[in-house]
Parts: sequence; structure tokens; C-alpha cells
Amino acid sequence: MTTDAETPTAAPAELRAARRGRVFDAMAEAALDALVLSRRDFVAYASGASGLWTGGTRPFGAACVLLADTRAVHLLSTWDEGVPPEIPFEHLYGVTWNPAVMGRALGAIPGFGTARRIGVDGLSVGFEKAARRLAPNAELVPADDLLQAVRAVKLPAEVDRIRAAVAVAAAAVDTAAGALADGAAPEEALAAALRGVAAAGVTVPASAPVVAPADPSGSLVHVDFGLLVDGYEGGVGRTVARSGAGVGADAGAGGAVAGAADAQHRLVEACRPGAAASDLRAAAGGASAWRVRGNGLGFEPPVVTGSLGEGTTLVDGMVLSVEVQVGSARRRDVVAVAAEPRSFSPPLPE
Amino acid sequence: MLATRLAEHRAPAASIDVDRLQRDRHARLQAQLERQGIELAVLLHGPNVGYATSLPTRAVDVTHAVYERPVAVVVAGEDQPHLFWDDAGAHPAVLQHPAVWPELDEGAALLGGEMVELAGGLAGRRVAVDVQTGAMLRAGVFAEAGLVDGSQLVAGAKIVKTPDELACIAEAQRRNEVAMEAVQRAAQPGVTRSELAGVFLARLADLGVEASMIDPIFQPMPRSVGDGPRTTTGSVAFPTGVGNPTFAAGDVVWVDAGIDHLGYASDFGRTWIVGRDPNRAERRLFEQWCEVMVRVLDVLAPGVTGGELVRAATAAGAAVPPGTSRPWLPHFYLAHGVGVESAEMPLLGTDLGPEFDDGMVMAPGMVLVLEPVTWEEGASGYRAEEIVAVTDDGWCHLGGGHGYEPFAA
Repeated sequence: MTTDAETPTAAPAELRAARRGRVFDAMAEAALDALVLSRRDFVAYASGASGLWTGGTRPFGAACVLLADTRAVHLLSTWDEGVPPEIPFEHLYGVTWNPAVMGRALGAIPGFGTARRIGVDGLSVGFEKAARRLAPNAELVPADDLLQAVRAVKLPAEVDRIRAAVAVAAAAVDTAAGALADGAAPEEALAAALRGVAAAGVTVPASAPVVAPADPSGSLVHVDFGLLVDGYEGGVGRTVARSGAGVGADAGAGGAVAGAADAQHRLVEACRPGAAASDLRAAAGGASAWRVRGNGLGFEPPVVTGSLGEGTTLVDGMVLSVEVQVGSARRRDVVAVAAEPRSFSPPLPE
Repeated sequence: MLATRLAEHRAPAASIDVDRLQRDRHARLQAQLERQGIELAVLLHGPNVGYATSLPTRAVDVTHAVYERPVAVVVAGEDQPHLFWDDAGAHPAVLQHPAVWPELDEGAALLGGEMVELAGGLAGRRVAVDVQTGAMLRAGVFAEAGLVDGSQLVAGAKIVKTPDELACIAEAQRRNEVAMEAVQRAAQPGVTRSELAGVFLARLADLGVEASMIDPIFQPMPRSVGDGPRTTTGSVAFPTGVGNPTFAAGDVVWVDAGIDHLGYASDFGRTWIVGRDPNRAERRLFEQWCEVMVRVLDVLAPGVTGGELVRAATAAGAAVPPGTSRPWLPHFYLAHGVGVESAEMPLLGTDLGPEFDDGMVMAPGMVLVLEPVTWEEGASGYRAEEIVAVTDDGWCHLGGGHGYEPFAA
């Protein structure tokens, strides 16, 4: 949803046009006549449309259809609110519960019925049957990898938006940590942080918000917020001390927090162009758990862990979420892959 | 009068036996597998995984939900379902395996191997799957299998709820209602939608509720359809989920939110008026909305068809939104079911048409979220939701009972 958060630089219309252009170029390269998208993030990237956020997965459905020949975008929406002005009203098809109605809507999209290659971001048995009937000459081709490749390297305006989203997540961490330091219980600190970011217009999570004891003594608390701001994820995680149970008093706990910061620093430093999964694994050596994954319109590939992501090579312009755990302390930061990688997180009290 | 009827029919708070819940659902899935002649069900859609394994859907963005997705596998004739998922929290009656990451090419290949391990080669076998990822298509995980729709399999199992499922829905609704009390007090002139959402989310945190499954909706409604967004139906646009309006005195605000309890959804719907009492037209629309509800509840019983309920609602003679002749939003329904999904069968009054409604026969254990809408151009509309379950001899109300302020206590 639209928010009052710090306004990023590039105009929304320019960003939409740039993303849409990348998608159509990729379709041309893969010789796709049409592309059918179901997932929120793919639809948002290709169309620029925003709508009601719901948690978890949704059943597969044709939420957006792109046609290569005309570079037209057709959208599943009963209203024009949240639909960018470059998508004409005539390109909207409304919510329906009736597969026959949906079939007619798709069949009426010029060029869909004669398509020879249709890309999809997933597939259900029902949609496969419908597509074979509506576009009898078409081959259905998985295209999620193509779109993720397009999205992997961020446009400068996307980096601005992710940076703005990280600032909101950092504010949430700061609010929760401040409340904990003042003696609040974890659920009170969580409530304060959620109220704070909502006042700034942000009410949609990317990951599940965490304010939870990190060890049996309760002296340390995990605080982690991943929020969607204008569709882009900003995430920050820290393990902080609770009031009256200072980290300094507990050498083990203090050591874990410092250890997580060190491990995180090494992993962030490894996020350079050309780095392979093996480089990240070497840098993460001291961590008890860690993960590096793409961060854009939410969770994205690549996903690199001790066992996943073989064959991954980082390239300039990727934006990654770097997550480590050392003992009972965790840390999450967002970083852009660069010769001098730096975390987007603003300084937070340690 | 409606509030009294609902109170008289309210189901008392019931305890939930999570072991029986898991056992009963597994038995129903097994019965569906046998009825539909399916050997193996592979479920990736969160609510379907939850139904098969008791693992609740997480309130995270779809991108997190798909990459970190749990996968459930139910093999015909087996006593326990399989769950591919790393974290703790799985029900003890579930056989847990390491997560497979089916959104990634390396994970899809792994999933294919695991399926063969569990059920043998899939060539020519009848397999139910609810969704395939691009990586699964590339890996050809089910290329040789005879695929059927896994969501239809689960739909057949879940349309009639067990007593434990009804208790989960009722508890989710009670918690949702409690959280909304603080929000309504905060709904004053000058407050923004996101501030109200913040009050709701903070209250959920206080109550220990982790799963708000929808960005809470507080949508100021236009007085006339022409003042609102343009729609493909020529009717009312709701819920748009866009923008962050600041409320002004006299705004008619439609409220909608949903949380989960043990994987079961609530569905809270009300109409609020900001900063003043309802005027005569607004009261009239509320009274008509109540009349629609009462007419439907008068008829609701086992054996009654959806078509009869739809006709009872329409016969109330309420003022209806533009673009339709019936008292609900034409892109939605008079009623939908609720369970592991926030909207599932039975759907009544949709564009599936009268034949579908006439073929949907009410049975004990079915759940209906009734959500009629009344509307007068120039005056806006009234919309609220109540959850009822069909019983052996009529119906019961699920939830704690929540007033209709500022229209009625």
C-alpha cells in the first residue's frame, strides 16, 4: 500500500516503466508470446498495481497477463483503485468464482488464444486445462526463473525504496529495543513497535515480527522486523538486552552479541561481485546458523546457506538480506553487493 | 432483534482437542483419496498443508511463504501424513522430514526424489497436487503422473467441519472481536487508516495473537458509487486495500479483518460512523441489513439449499447496491464458508449462478459467513459479517457476540 514513509527519489511512473520494460525485454529474449502471473510480487513488478495484502500463499490464478506483441498488461481487478494509469480500464477483468467466466475473460484478451509460448510463474491443474483449451497451440513454459533473473539486479530507484524500507524496519527495532530497555515485556515491546511503524503508514509484514526471549534467562531478546514498504522489503534484526539484565553482567550473552556482530561484519564484507557460495560459507565460518538471500519485493533468490545455493555468483547491484546467529544472538541486515559492501541499516544502539 | 437471535443461538466456548482435530482431518483426507481414487496428495498451498498436518499458516508475505514453504504429503492408506519442514511445532502425529525448498531448482529435484522414496515411481499414478512451482515443472517432478487438482481433494474433505474445527473458528472470531473494541474507540476524526491498523495489530500482540492474515481494512465509503473507484461491475469497490485515508467526522467506514487461531480464520466485518451517530438513512440501511440476516437465519437448517437462502435474502426487499438486484456485492457473495481459508466453500450467491446455489445443500457442520450489503445512492451502505454453523436442527452462532455500535448495542 501507499505510505507516508520517506519519499524515494525516482517518480513511481518511471520505476514502473523501467520494470515493465525489463519484463517485456526478457519475454522477447525467451520468445514468450504471453506471460501469466499469479504471485503478488511478480504482478506488482510487472504491472505496478497494488492491492489488498493477505498473508501466506494464495491458490494459483491468472492475476496478470502480459502480451509480447502489443506490450499490453491485463489485470485481474474489479476496480481501478491501485491500478496505474498506463493500464487502461478496458484491460481489467473482475474477480470471479466461476472458471467459465475467467475463461471468457482470458479468451477475450487479444493475442492470448493464438499464443504459441505462454510463460507461467507456477501452475495448477485447473489453469493448465483452461490454458490448453483457450490457447490450444500454446506450450506452457515455467518463467519464474526468468523473472527472478530480471529482478535480481536492482534499479537505482529500487535500491532507494529498499533503503527507505530498511529505515522503517530499523525504527521498529529501535522502538522495541527502547521499550525492552525500559522494562517492557516482549509482547508490550512488539505492540509499541507495530503501533510506531503503523503511525508512519506501514502495516504489512514481510517476515513474521519477532520480539522473543533469546535464552532461558530472558536476559537477551531477539528483535527482528521485516516490513513491506511500498511493496519492497526492509529487514533489520538484533538481539538486545532486557532492562535489569544487562549484557555486561553476563559474559556469555555479551560474547554472543559481539560474536554475532563480528560474524555479520565478515559476511557483509564477503558480499562482493564475483563472490561464490563457497566464499560466503568461508566468511560465515564462526556462525552457528546463517543465510544470505535476495531482498527486493520480499524474499527473493539467490538463497545461499551451508547446503543451498551451490553455483551462486553474486553480481554488482544485487541486494541481499544477510542473517546470522552466534550462540543466542542473531543479526539481520540488508546489503547491496558492491566492491565496498555496506549495510543499509542505520546505526542502532548495541 | 438480530442481536438477540444470535445470542440465543450462540455456541458456548468449547475446548479444542488438537490431537482429535489432526486425527479427524487425516481420516477425512484418506476418505477423499479413496473416493477419488487418488494414491498420493502433494500439498504446497499453506492452508492445505495446515489441514493435512496441523502446521498453522504463517502471517508472512507470499514471497516468504513460498520460498520457506512447508510441503505436506498424504499417501493413501497410511496412518500419518508427511511434513517437509525444518522448524519445531509440527504435530506429533506427523512424520517430519527436512524442508525441501521446492521454489528452488535444487529443492524441486530433491522433492521429486523424496516422492519416489515415499510412494515409489509416479509414472501413470493418480497424484493430487494443488500447485506446482516453476522449479517443479522444470524438474518434471510430476511429468509422468496423472495429475488431479489437490485443492479439490482438500475442498471435499473440509466442507463439513468437525466440532474441534468449529471451536477453532469461534475462538478466532472471539479474539478478533476483542481486539476490535479498542480500535473502534480510536476511530475518531483525524485518525488515519494505518493508525487504526496499528491499534489493532498492537492489541493482537497484547492478546498473544500472531496471525493477522490480512492488512486490516478500514475503508471510508463513498456516498454514491460514482464518487468511488470505477468498477467492472458498476457497483461498489470494496475492499481496495489501497491508500491511507485520514477519517473525517461523518465518514462511513467499512471494517474487515481476519486472524487465525490454530490455523483457522476469523472474519470480522462491521460498519462504523466516525465521530457522530448514524443519520436516518444510515439507520434505515442498518435495519434493512438486519432484516436480510433474519430472513436467512429463519430458513437456515440442514437440507435447505443455497438457492433458498439466496432467495430469502433477496425477498427481504432491502435497498441493494447498484449493478445488482440482490443485497450483497456482485463480485462477492451472500455467504462464504470459512475454515483453514478465509473464504472457502460453500459460496452462496456468487457468479457461479442459481444452479450452483440450488445444488449446494446445507449439512450439519457447514459454516457460513453471512455478509449482506444494503446500499442507497447518496447515503452509502451498511455491511457487516456474522459467522454461523449449520447444526442438526438449525444453526448456531460462532464468536463472542459483538455489538453494532453506533447503530445498536
